[in-house]
Amino acid sequence: MRFILVDKIYELDPGRQIIASKTLPADEELFRDHFPGFPVVPGVLLTEMMAQAAGRCLDADGTRLGRAMLGKINRASFRDWVKPDQEIVLHAKITQNRPTYATADCFAEVAGRKVCSAELFFVFAPHEQFAADYQDEILTAYWNVHPDMQPKRAR
Amino acid sequence: MTQSDAIEWVAKVFEVSPDQLTQDTHRDNVPAWDSLGVLTLMASLDGDFGIVLTDDDVQGIKTVGDILDLMRKNGKLT
Repeated sequence: MRFILVDKIYELDPGRQIIASKTLPADEELFRDHFPGFPVVPGVLLTEMMAQAAGRCLDADGTRLGRAMLGKINRASFRDWVKPDQEIVLHAKITQNRPTYATADCFAEVAGRKVCSAELFFVFAPHEQFAADYQDEILTAYWNVHPDMQPKRAR
Repeated sequence: MTQSDAIEWVAKVFEVSPDQLTQDTHRDNVPAWDSLGVLTLMASLDGDFGIVLTDDDVQGIKTVGDILDLMRKNGKLT
């Protein structure tokens, strides 16, 4: 399984909020163990999904000299099971957005029902730490459909 | 906010018991006062009190007393 836990961005207000989604297919190997006869998406992966959605929202404004990285999970709650093949709609609202840190209130829903939520804290890693030609494919796919939303710096 | 409340607040930021902190407690003696702890302090000062610091401001904060002085200077400590 690749560790890209966002499939698609539905709505994006860079640096402010994002709605995205992820679906884990039933044939993902992790479901063999989590759990045998009762496959459900692990809470830590739901948290990572919300973090990746929020992180992309932060990275999308193109003003920083670094990429958003999850620094702390201030709070996380898991209220319902999420099954394989269910579309998980990820919501993140950036509540603090400063040059060296950011916070986000996040939740995920399945079929309109809230299944988990988290309050996340982000730090930023310098772009130089990553591969020189690295471009986030999910944001790139979004910008291909919404070219006017792409920050000038990222073009 | 009283000084005692402020020390409790600092303790919560750095995930320690308040009785482990005094005004003279140095950041080197607080395990969670690391690089992540510094950013958490900045975010908490910002979110809870509207005090926004630069990285340079924060580098000058070395003790719990420095944090209290900052809060006092911004009118948050009685």
